[in-house]
Amino acid sequence: MTRRQLVGYFEEDSQVVHALRICRERGLETLDVVSPFPLHGIDEALGLRRTRLPWLTLIGGSVGLALGMALQYWSSASDWPLNVGGKPFNSFPAFVPVAFELTILGAGLCTVFGLLARTGLHPWRRVGPERLRTSDDRIALVVARRDASHDPRELRQVLFECGAVEVVEEELP
Amino acid sequence: MATRIRATTLQVAPAPTLVAPGTRSSDVTRDVCSPLERRPGRMWWIGLLIAGSALLVGVACVAYQIKVGIGTWGLDRTVGWGFDITNFVFWVGIGHAGTLISAVLLLFRQKWRTSINRSAEAMTIFAVICAGLFPVIHMGRPWLAYWVFPYPNGRGPLWVNFRSALLWDVFAIGTYFTISLLFWYIGLIPDLATVRDRARGWRRKLYGWLSLGWTGSARSWSRYEVACALLAALATPLVVSVHSVVSSDFATSVIPGWHANVFPPYFVIGAVFSGFGMVLTLMLVARKVMGYERYITQRHILAMCKVLVFTGSIVGLAYATELFVAWYSGSAYEQFTFANRMRGPLGWGYGIMVGCNVVVPQLLWLSRVRNSLLAVFVISLLVNVGMWFERYVIIVGSLERDFLPSSWSSYVPTPIEFGTLLGSFGLFFTLFLLFCRFLPMISMFEVKTVLAPEHGAEHSREGRA
Amino acid sequence: MNHPTSHDELLFPGDDPSPSRRAFLRLAGFGIAAGSLAGCSRRAPTSALSWTQAPEDVVAGRAWWIATTCGGCPSACGALARCRDGRPVKLEGNELDVDSRGGLCAAGQAALLGVYDSQRVPGPRWQGRSTTWAELDSQVGLELDALRKRGKVRVLTSTIHSPSTRRAIQDFVGHFADARHVAYDVPSAAALLDAHMHTHGVRVLPDMRFERARVVAAFEADFLGTWIAPVHFAARHAERRVPGGDRSMHVQFESRLSLTGSRADRRTRIAPHELRAALERLRDEIAVRAGAAAPARSSLREELGAAIERIAEELWGARGASLVVCGTNDLAGQLLVNEANALLENYGRTLDLARPSLQRSGDDRALEQLAGELERGEIDMLVCAGCNPAYELPSAFARALGRVKTLVTCSPEHDETARIAHCVAPEPHFLECWNDAEPFAGSLRLTQPTVPPLRDARTLRSTLRAWLGDTGSDREHIEEHWREAIWPRARGSESFEAFFRRALHDGVVELPRENVATPAFRGRVALEPSTPGPAGATLVLYAKVTMPSGAHAHNPWLQELPDPISKATWGNYACIAPGRAASEGLSDGDVVRVEAGGAVLELPVYVQRGQHEDVVAVALGYGRVGTDRFMRVGPQWIGASPTVDSGDAVGVNAAPMLAFEGGYLRSDVHPLRLVRTGRRAELARTQEHDTLQLPEDLAPHGHAERDLLHARDGHGGHGNPGLWPDDHANDGPRWGMTIDLERCTGCSACVVACQAENNVPVVGRDEVARHREMSWLRIDRYFAGEGDEVRADFQPMLCQHCANAPCEAVCPVLATVHSAEGLNQQVYNRCVGTRYCANTCPYKVRRFNWFDYAREDELANHSLNPDVTVRSRGVMEKCSFCVQRIQEAKFEARRTGRPLADGDVRPACAQSCPARAITFGDLADAKSAVARATADPRAFALLEELNVQPSIRYLGRERRAGRKEDPHGH
Repeated sequence: MTRRQLVGYFEEDSQVVHALRICRERGLETLDVVSPFPLHGIDEALGLRRTRLPWLTLIGGSVGLALGMALQYWSSASDWPLNVGGKPFNSFPAFVPVAFELTILGAGLCTVFGLLARTGLHPWRRVGPERLRTSDDRIALVVARRDASHDPRELRQVLFECGAVEVVEEELP
Repeated sequence: MATRIRATTLQVAPAPTLVAPGTRSSDVTRDVCSPLERRPGRMWWIGLLIAGSALLVGVACVAYQIKVGIGTWGLDRTVGWGFDITNFVFWVGIGHAGTLISAVLLLFRQKWRTSINRSAEAMTIFAVICAGLFPVIHMGRPWLAYWVFPYPNGRGPLWVNFRSALLWDVFAIGTYFTISLLFWYIGLIPDLATVRDRARGWRRKLYGWLSLGWTGSARSWSRYEVACALLAALATPLVVSVHSVVSSDFATSVIPGWHANVFPPYFVIGAVFSGFGMVLTLMLVARKVMGYERYITQRHILAMCKVLVFTGSIVGLAYATELFVAWYSGSAYEQFTFANRMRGPLGWGYGIMVGCNVVVPQLLWLSRVRNSLLAVFVISLLVNVGMWFERYVIIVGSLERDFLPSSWSSYVPTPIEFGTLLGSFGLFFTLFLLFCRFLPMISMFEVKTVLAPEHGAEHSREGRA
Repeated sequence: MNHPTSHDELLFPGDDPSPSRRAFLRLAGFGIAAGSLAGCSRRAPTSALSWTQAPEDVVAGRAWWIATTCGGCPSACGALARCRDGRPVKLEGNELDVDSRGGLCAAGQAALLGVYDSQRVPGPRWQGRSTTWAELDSQVGLELDALRKRGKVRVLTSTIHSPSTRRAIQDFVGHFADARHVAYDVPSAAALLDAHMHTHGVRVLPDMRFERARVVAAFEADFLGTWIAPVHFAARHAERRVPGGDRSMHVQFESRLSLTGSRADRRTRIAPHELRAALERLRDEIAVRAGAAAPARSSLREELGAAIERIAEELWGARGASLVVCGTNDLAGQLLVNEANALLENYGRTLDLARPSLQRSGDDRALEQLAGELERGEIDMLVCAGCNPAYELPSAFARALGRVKTLVTCSPEHDETARIAHCVAPEPHFLECWNDAEPFAGSLRLTQPTVPPLRDARTLRSTLRAWLGDTGSDREHIEEHWREAIWPRARGSESFEAFFRRALHDGVVELPRENVATPAFRGRVALEPSTPGPAGATLVLYAKVTMPSGAHAHNPWLQELPDPISKATWGNYACIAPGRAASEGLSDGDVVRVEAGGAVLELPVYVQRGQHEDVVAVALGYGRVGTDRFMRVGPQWIGASPTVDSGDAVGVNAAPMLAFEGGYLRSDVHPLRLVRTGRRAELARTQEHDTLQLPEDLAPHGHAERDLLHARDGHGGHGNPGLWPDDHANDGPRWGMTIDLERCTGCSACVVACQAENNVPVVGRDEVARHREMSWLRIDRYFAGEGDEVRADFQPMLCQHCANAPCEAVCPVLATVHSAEGLNQQVYNRCVGTRYCANTCPYKVRRFNWFDYAREDELANHSLNPDVTVRSRGVMEKCSFCVQRIQEAKFEARRTGRPLADGDVRPACAQSCPARAITFGDLADAKSAVARATADPRAFALLEELNVQPSIRYLGRERRAGRKEDPHGH
């Protein structure tokens, strides 16, 4: 079966927030908001859960630190200990900088690739239906439309009232 | 430091707007994307020609040096590092302002960064590329440069020396480059999507591929902002560590004039200082050439001038500290080294360094100077000259006359070395010009968040994070 | 071809003089081998490549030593050649030589290169065409037959110290109605010889026993550097230079700053023209003390007179244990010296005529007479050997050589004389042939070949004998002579074979002294009253420590060896006193035209402190033809400038300025004109800053001078406690070294020893000027004082092998690490060449391979030490404490199943040092010589405040009264 949804295009982010609230009140299912720049207060309005990306960062950092320290200690003091400038084989203070850099590296890589993975961003990703100027200056509010409930005209009405400059009905296969 | 910036920026009254009033999102999109869509202008071609030929000169010099030997440089048994490491430290330093602007100022919610951070980050990456070249070509056997990586090998396996500051450099610079590149690219994704949506044909394919299928849905944005905040939080200590490590190349040795505890903070602040100098230079040129006057406004320039005055003063403090410690240490070697640095054979270099880094920036206290683009441009250039000489004086000056008078020597660079330095500038500007041509030079989606619509206050929208 | 083959401990002069039975057999075998070797030396092998089939008892890769005699100069020091795979790779002093005591000078060690010189003449030449010996012999034979009854034949040589050769010359000369042998030396010591002829009736040099002298007064005698036998003198002098009770007092009177003068306790500058008067005053002062009536005072400069009186007093106080030596070639002067020494009762004590030195026999009067004969074109045949008259004698003489009807030269290379000679009968290199020597009466050396002749050459001995129809081999001639003339003098029970074999094995033989009365002083010789020579500018021609004579000019090691005083390489220069330079507005590198003795030279100026204002000093031995071979030495790149231009020569030849004066070849020439040309030619010096004084405007208060030469009070040489625990196991030896700065004379023998041992490349003038010399061991020279007070302190500087080595910590790839035996090791094949280590080294002893240094001369490459890697471009290198010798010694100890003993390991530098200033050994062994030396109160670690804990301790110079030790400089 085909899903159908209405997309309302706004020019002001404040209007979108307002529109979201109205739709919620009317029990409409708001699917998504698509904007050229981040909007604030939208997450709550859409009821999105806070991302757990920071945990991933923490893990990456810890792994980097552990690996860094292990590599340095093992290679300098265990695998092939060499007398270098009379310093002890395990010259811990000298190992700090490299361990630190590896911590940052691990954390950074995990953050970035975590983001790409969770958001499903990759070069071959197909972009969904052509949305008008949402990467330029329009903000799109996507509302689901069930066959049974609501009359599309009323729905359009609501969106226009909230300040939508245009409302388009989309069909998804 | 950053808090100080914030204070000063807020004190600007009446604050010139960050973006020319009346600019609308669609204008931003159009203005920023158009240079990518139309054929490049004459200025751009001329620039590329100059930069390109400088690059070629550098390539020729490096090729000859690698073929014949380091002896084609002016180094000797006493002075083992000259232009090579001077340029390395110089370029690393240049890089730091980019990270500072995009990360630190981001953390401190400095909105004025939005229209310059993209190019500042680009500058960082290109500068680090230039910097990274020198440690490689300065080796006697550059074809074995990969030996500095700790990889399992058939030599025992023989590992690397984790006690060597030079090895710390490998990790610091490597991490710094990786993180900066990712941070920069992540920041580009939404704007690449914008370019993609405006483009047709192969350009659409290309930018579609680059933008990783970004749509701008709310969920993406929320993760995206958190990720950016995290990267910023990582990049901030990183940038501090990188130049601290670079300074350790000298601080961990026994040579008077190198062996100083003040080096890490001294080098970091110097790096920020020189970096902002370079950002100013580039921005002043770019806004002219690319016609971005309405995005890179007086206010940005004023803010950066203040950073220059501030960091320049700290650099001055560092110089003073060095001298004080040399005197206070009671070490005859230290005392001689600094007397020699100021009044010895390289005294002229010391003069340039103090003049350009400490004295000249103080002129920016005068609002007349501050507000004259030409004056600011000249000062920013002088800052770069001064910071190059700082490194030269520290490295060469300290080596030329160390402990045993019998091996004192005087370093005279050869044309090959000048050519290599020129080449590094060529590489830097070539990359920067290509960047201006093929990537959105201003972070559109961020500027859009600080637009002042006809109605409503200026700070209506929050930036990233 | 067979070859001397024997294990090192056999041919190595061991402690017991009588070889074991194995050695006996082996040496017997060697005799045959050597015979056949000499026999087949007519064939001219073209290379000294290793054998394809080695004799079965040769262990590939193990060195053996062959006793030989250094042919670098007439002092004939006993030497050992270290041979590997059939070729000599290193020359060292022979410990059994009681005079050199195992020392060997820079020139001597460098002489090794001569055998591999690709530009030696390949074989005999007649009338400019190369020919065979048979052909040559018949041609010369015809000439000689014609000259036998009437016709003047002369043999012109440098001092010949080989008795068998002297005998051959006598026999040759005896065959002609009018033939004579003329010998000469440059610089000449003829006056010294003649003086003893007058005062003692023997024309010899007394053996000078510096070790017995409490007071030494030297006049213009650079006895530690170049005068007669510096290695012997240095070894003896050094015994008395160690601070303590019997430290000798050394006072120098000289016109230029010589190596010897720079080490003197007191120094007085004296113009050549003042010398005779000064000596006369000295003689008088001593005579008065000896009870003679006070004579009329000769006119003398006030302060000079005072200095003479002072030294006279000191000499008198130490009579019998004092010594006056004088280098002037003025008979009157030398007679005065002999009288002074006689009055001081030094003959028989510090001057030994019972065992006189035969190291100089040149006769200037005979030379001058020959010059006259040449002028008049009377000479029918002149045979030159071991000398190069066309180059090293006054221009008039060189011109007159053209008038000889048949000029024969035996020079091994195509030198100035060979270029005008009708016949060239090349002599072999001393390492290629049999030879003997008698440097001191009754002290003999035997020389055996170490390598088959690389050229078709023949010794003067064989050549002359061949021309007399005797075609025996060298060895036969020598054995015959020894059997007849030497062996009987031994008066031992030993059979001749045993005697000869021992001589062969040891290289040196001390014959018992004949009990004949030693010639006594015959009293004052009547002199014409002293006429002080003309005052004013004088040119002093001197021999350079690093280039004793022109014969060494083709030796790249010596050309690049920095002069210990001026630190200049590649060429000579005009030394000018600071005052004169100031008045004439000259500074280092200004090219001046020097006009004297009817010749003109153009030279760069070197401003030499401590030199007499009236004197301009120029070194002999440069400007040799063919030295443009060094045009392409060193790296070739766009920025490089050639060491010498094509067709040009390294330095200029000052010999044409030598002049006969009163029958003697004088090296002080006047009048002199100095004209500035306005051109400049920078000197390639290895040291830019000449003193320990810091530049006045930069010196911190109270630290005008860096004190690097003295042990400081309250420091025991062991650094501060470390921050970290030392968790490195260190059982077994801990190698260390001490260097005695009081003993070191700066002679630079160690520098060449190191270069030879460790395959240190020659980089050429341009690279030296860029401060990129590669020497692992350098000698830092610091001047102190001005005018008369000037002295030089020498500090041999090499890797200090620090326990807390800064260089190790900074290498990113672990290319330099510390061994369990305390060595700072450089791993060439791991080095990527960041030069970080060199920057961090406080002693700046690390050397970087800036280029691939040319090793194109295949033949010269045979001098490379197979035990040491030849470093490639882009890697760091430095002193390794001769780790290859440490390993060799360990293997040898293991092979012979005995523990490593103190003294088993001797780095090249320590081995070569004539003054025994360097001690090496195991610091962990409290009984070792080095450990004991480290306990010396003078011992200190250089820059110990850095706590890098070097393994080298310097035994500092002691602060003495009479020396200016003003910390604030002058």
